[in-house]
Amino acid sequence: MNLSIQNLSKTYPNGVQALKDVNLEIPVGMFGLLGPNGAGKSSLMRTIATLQEPDTGSIQLGDLNVLTQKTEVRKVLGYLPQEFGVYPKVSAIDLLDHIAVLKGITNGKERTKLVKSLLQKTNLWQHRKKGLGGYSGGMKQRFGIAQALISDPKLIIVDEPTAGLDPAERNRFLNLLSEIGENTVVILSTHIVDDVKELCTNMAIINQGEVLKTGNPLEAISEVEGKIWSKTIEKEELPTYQDKFNVISERLIAGKPEIHVHSDGRPDDSFAPKVADLEDVYFSRIKESTQPAEVAV
Amino acid sequence: MLEFIKFELNYRFSRPVTYIYFLIVFLMAFLATSTDIVRAGGSGGKVMENAPVVITALMLAIMIFAIFITSAVMGVPVLRDFEHKTDSMVFTTPVSKWQYLSGKFIGSFIIVLLISSGLLLGAMFGQSFQWPWKDNMDNLMAFNFMYYWNPYVIFVLPNLFIFSAIFFLGGSLGKKMTVVYAQGIILFMGYLVAQTFLAELDNQNLAAILDPFGFGSLAVTTQYWTVAEQNTQFIPFSGFILYNRLVWGAVGIASLAFLFIRFNFQLAGNASRKTKKKGTREERELKDQVIESPVVQQIFGFSAQLTQIRSLSWFYFKWIIKQVPFISIALAGVAFVFIIAFVGGTGGYDIEVYMTSSRAVDMIGIFNLFFIIITVFYTGEIVWKERDVKMNLIYDALPFPNYVSTASKFIGMVLMSIFILIMLMVCGILIQLIKGYPVIEWNVYLTSLFGDTLALMVLYLILGLFVQALVNHKFVGFGLMFAFYISMIVMSEVGIEHAMFYFGRASVGNYSEMNNYGHYLTPFSWFNLYWFGLAAIFYAVAILFTVRGIDSSFAVRLKLGQQRMTRNALVTIVGALIIFAGSGAYIYYNTNVLNEYQNSDDGKADRARYERTLNQYEWIAQPKIIDTYVDVDLYPKSRDFKASGYYVLKNKSDETIDQIHIQKSVDNQLTTALSFEGGFSVDTVYEDFKYTVFNLDSPLAPGDSVKMNFDVVFTTVGFKESGSNTDVVYNGTFFNNSAYFPSIGYNSGFELSSDDDRKEQDLEVKERMMETDDPRGVAQSLFGDDADKISFEVVVSTDSSQIAIAPGYLQKKWNEGDRVYYHYKMDTPMVNFYSIISADFVVIKDTWQPPVDTLPEVNLEIYYNKGHEYNTERMMNGMKEALTYYTKNFSPYQFRQLRIMEFPKYRSFAQSFANTVPFSEGIGFIQNIKTNDVDLPFYVTAHEVAHQWWGHQVTEAGVKGNAMLSETLSQYSALMVMKKNFKPEIIKEFLKHELNSYLMGRTFEQKKEMPLYQVEGQGYIHYRKGSLVMYALQDYIGEDSVNAALKRFNEDWAFKDAPYPTSKDLISYYREVTPDSLQYIITDMFETITLFENKTTEAEYEKVSDTEYIVDLDVSTIKYQADSLGNEEAQELKDWIDIGVFAEGSDGKDSLIYLQKHKISQEENSFTLTVGAEPVKAGIDPINKLIDRNPKDNVKSVTEKEEAI
Repeated sequence: MNLSIQNLSKTYPNGVQALKDVNLEIPVGMFGLLGPNGAGKSSLMRTIATLQEPDTGSIQLGDLNVLTQKTEVRKVLGYLPQEFGVYPKVSAIDLLDHIAVLKGITNGKERTKLVKSLLQKTNLWQHRKKGLGGYSGGMKQRFGIAQALISDPKLIIVDEPTAGLDPAERNRFLNLLSEIGENTVVILSTHIVDDVKELCTNMAIINQGEVLKTGNPLEAISEVEGKIWSKTIEKEELPTYQDKFNVISERLIAGKPEIHVHSDGRPDDSFAPKVADLEDVYFSRIKESTQPAEVAV
Repeated sequence: MLEFIKFELNYRFSRPVTYIYFLIVFLMAFLATSTDIVRAGGSGGKVMENAPVVITALMLAIMIFAIFITSAVMGVPVLRDFEHKTDSMVFTTPVSKWQYLSGKFIGSFIIVLLISSGLLLGAMFGQSFQWPWKDNMDNLMAFNFMYYWNPYVIFVLPNLFIFSAIFFLGGSLGKKMTVVYAQGIILFMGYLVAQTFLAELDNQNLAAILDPFGFGSLAVTTQYWTVAEQNTQFIPFSGFILYNRLVWGAVGIASLAFLFIRFNFQLAGNASRKTKKKGTREERELKDQVIESPVVQQIFGFSAQLTQIRSLSWFYFKWIIKQVPFISIALAGVAFVFIIAFVGGTGGYDIEVYMTSSRAVDMIGIFNLFFIIITVFYTGEIVWKERDVKMNLIYDALPFPNYVSTASKFIGMVLMSIFILIMLMVCGILIQLIKGYPVIEWNVYLTSLFGDTLALMVLYLILGLFVQALVNHKFVGFGLMFAFYISMIVMSEVGIEHAMFYFGRASVGNYSEMNNYGHYLTPFSWFNLYWFGLAAIFYAVAILFTVRGIDSSFAVRLKLGQQRMTRNALVTIVGALIIFAGSGAYIYYNTNVLNEYQNSDDGKADRARYERTLNQYEWIAQPKIIDTYVDVDLYPKSRDFKASGYYVLKNKSDETIDQIHIQKSVDNQLTTALSFEGGFSVDTVYEDFKYTVFNLDSPLAPGDSVKMNFDVVFTTVGFKESGSNTDVVYNGTFFNNSAYFPSIGYNSGFELSSDDDRKEQDLEVKERMMETDDPRGVAQSLFGDDADKISFEVVVSTDSSQIAIAPGYLQKKWNEGDRVYYHYKMDTPMVNFYSIISADFVVIKDTWQPPVDTLPEVNLEIYYNKGHEYNTERMMNGMKEALTYYTKNFSPYQFRQLRIMEFPKYRSFAQSFANTVPFSEGIGFIQNIKTNDVDLPFYVTAHEVAHQWWGHQVTEAGVKGNAMLSETLSQYSALMVMKKNFKPEIIKEFLKHELNSYLMGRTFEQKKEMPLYQVEGQGYIHYRKGSLVMYALQDYIGEDSVNAALKRFNEDWAFKDAPYPTSKDLISYYREVTPDSLQYIITDMFETITLFENKTTEAEYEKVSDTEYIVDLDVSTIKYQADSLGNEEAQELKDWIDIGVFAEGSDGKDSLIYLQKHKISQEENSFTLTVGAEPVKAGIDPINKLIDRNPKDNVKSVTEKEEAI
């Protein structure tokens, strides 16, 4: 069951164009949607999750028209929104049970088992009776994925699930995602390149509502292989370098900026070649699409 | 701190809603003052619309409505920081808690003050110009800023502070807006409870203090203000008003203090450690378990949806009932119901009414408005619940149909409503049991609470869902609901009065234990069907347009709505539309086609036209009825009757009469056919007024008679919009001849009477009654000019399950099929006033032996509804004692029979017809009379029996002062019977209420207060002042002397036709028996409005020996004469007034050991009295015989004199 997105556009009433003629073919497996904040990732995900109407375009999930057969889509959908709240005084087990009912698990015994397995899977079993208001960010995210996993959905959409998690929690979470069955379309949006690198077989880079690049992460890396150069400079030199070279990213290493430059040849001898990674793909694509560049790491 | 103030001000000034609030307040004040939409205080009549009292009442009323503005502004300042999660930022800056809180409070309070200035400005603006829509400016005095400033400073400002402090506390500590709203509702309930307390004399002080709005203290302070005082006096900042302000001001300050102490100026990090520990252990256990995903089945059919609805509804229901605001409102409701049941809620004379199920339900009904508020409020909360906790995206992507979520919210709310109602029903039942009236009428609880109230709550719930779904903004939704509620009040003012325009209006009527819900159930059911049809449409539309996902633009929702428009939805909407339109059409057919519908303005216009067209005939010579015979067939099951009979009309004038004017009943359910024996023709028909002028073929010469036959058919068809007929009912029919049978000539009773109404219709203001000396008036009795006395005979038939009663003696009773016939005939002439009564009665019988052997035995009978036997003994006893006293002191009883018949409590009075007394279920049958209570059934019985003398034996002229001859004398007669039968304390209690009612009555006088001998149908004068004055009169000149005068009066005037006696005649009898030295009291009591201000300023005693004490008293006396508006003028003193001393009696209560009348001829007086026991209290007019506006300061505790050293 593929997810096929055709010519999807959306402009918000305030004039912001969130999606510009987006075309994507998303096969089963883990699909990463990479882009900076405000790129349109969430708009795209919400549209796929039947929560938002596009201005034009179509979305097809296997035989289902996502835009009109909403209820059918929702039956096979697991969705974890970017930001969500919970009833602070309701316990995890109660709320999960409640959501399971709404997902159509009306058999009480089955539901009890399911809820138990999901809570165990997400390592929340020991906290099941605790009010969700007392959950930490990571626990809450795990609860979020638990509810999204109810009844083996065919389409799972997780929107920025790792934002704000500490490294341990993040790992735990990614492990969870990786266990999801192979017959499922999983769309993971993130602005953290490593998330995609570690998990996804396919990905798309999106910025300002446009798809900049789609494909397999490894293939994408090979495209920029040998074209990324790095150099450590002084802080005050940064503007000069930015003028002179195609600086795609900079980061501080021991207090000094290290810049990455995308260039077919070595800019000059002071630059050292760098082994390309997905981040470089990401930044170079973003850089291309955004002038002047404004990149968050 | 200044920073926070500035921040709040800037924040508020930048929000449009601040200006909207101001505008709302301004407009409310403006509309209330510049239009007639709101009538507050005693305004209307002679009280000016810009009198300070009126403006105070108005401002307070607006404050009740505007309480939501205060809560919205004062609840949020701290709350906002929590909601926007800026709390951590603020709390970590180096500000102190004190600066933070006081800054926020002061800033917001300044905004509240600014908004409230709209009240001042709106009121002043509204009353300063001649608005084109305003009829007249007569009701305004010259502008005076103080009229507005006085109430603003005394009530509005303190209220704002108090409420602001309370809401600020709730918002800051509760951290939820719902807590603030709950506070608002509880304050409002406090007001409601205070209102019920106010009705009771003994609880008024409590009400004055407890009312958070200050209404109670205002009412207690100004309740005796005359019209003149209301127009001139400012609200004093003293007495109860001061105490109330102090108490509540303290509550406000305490709230703030509590907040400053308890507010936690630290961050709320609250991961509990306890569970963590336990967690690690469990975690270890878990590691060993293999996690495998069970196979589950997703089911999406209808049965699955039902499961989902059940689960979700229960989830929402549990959520609501766990909410602190909900719990507090519910508990407050319960508490207040109990408080009202046990502290307040008594009837007239503070007598407890048995706690029947219908009374318990009525008590609960006080809170109907707050049910609506809580419904509307939680509807908004529940619609926004997922979005408020930001779970909406998860929910919205779940695979349930739209209707499941809406239906579950709906059902959750309905469960909440049922929960509240069950809780209150349990309270009601408990109260019934505790109060010792364990007759639980389940059908009353079910119908009133789970039919009427629940229907209303559900309708408002759906309206709330609908509005919230459409506007998709919680607070705009609340605002719209509020505006909607207000608009219904405004609608009635522009002439839209039909219940079909008032969302949710469907009345199940007043429950009577005789007639149950009677015929009210039918229109109630239809109206509910109609409203639920509309609600179903609302509901369907709400489902179609509910926002799911994040799109909220109208275009997208329209598109989604179309997508969601399934066959089922369409069928539902069309079905609902058919129900709505169909039931609407049926209701319209019933109320406007089968029955006549008229709004009140049209009704007034009709009455004005009647007067303009027909007033010319008021004084033309017409014959009088001398003989009446009628066959009445009652059909209680269908609420119909037929009456056919005749009048014999005699020309008692000295002119020949060739035209007879007949006024038929104007009731549209009734048709009247007439004919005159000896030939006649119709001259003119005024169809609109059912007034016909007939030509007689052979004119009536003076002294001649003619027989007029009439047939009256009364058919109840369908139901009416309002004012449905309560005379002819399933069980408890009671009507009199004047309402349905033809009458002779023009009926001045149809004329508009209030000055305001007459001005509106461009009619001259008229006197309420004819002058006492008017020969035309003296020529007719109070029962009208149709007849003097008549001979009367009637055959009444009714359903065989009922007993039919009319005046007269039963000649014969027989059955025909399922009908029973009663033939009554009166053997002596009686007044032209008779009633027809029919109900399923239980009868008790007794006889009374007159004290004089030559007089015949009298049959006494009480016809009452089964279960209402509590007070029948008291009534029976009342009849006997009254008959005995009146026969001994006035004249023999003229009949051989006296019957009391109960009728349903749609009306609350008893009325005396010849040898029969219909007596309302509400005023004597269900009272729980305790030892120290005024025996209401006894008193009412004695009063009605007295009318057999005063009204039936002696019938007075229909002129000013007439009621002094019938009502005042009946009050006197009943009082004397009571005096003979009860302890003095009970008489005192009775008179205390009479004084209060008289003084209150003056306040509400619409036109002019009259002296007793000129009374114009003013109950507070002829009943209440009448009791006081007559009691004082017999105290001054002696009971024997008064009775001697009345006996003579009776001898001279009983059983006579015109001319009829007037108050002036009666006064001359009083003067005859009054010594010269006391002639002035006749003037003071009957001929002028005289009031006293007696006060004891100093009271000391000196002990001479154990049996000799010398009491020194300083007292002051002012005697006023008031004009018709209550302007007072001090009078020269030459009065005899009681001076009394109390000692502690053997029963521990005060008992009089000295009571003597002393001549008072100056304002300040001192007395030195010698008494034989240790005095406790002493004073002037100690048992309140004189009319005194401060009766409590007449007596003072006596202290032992300190020896001068």
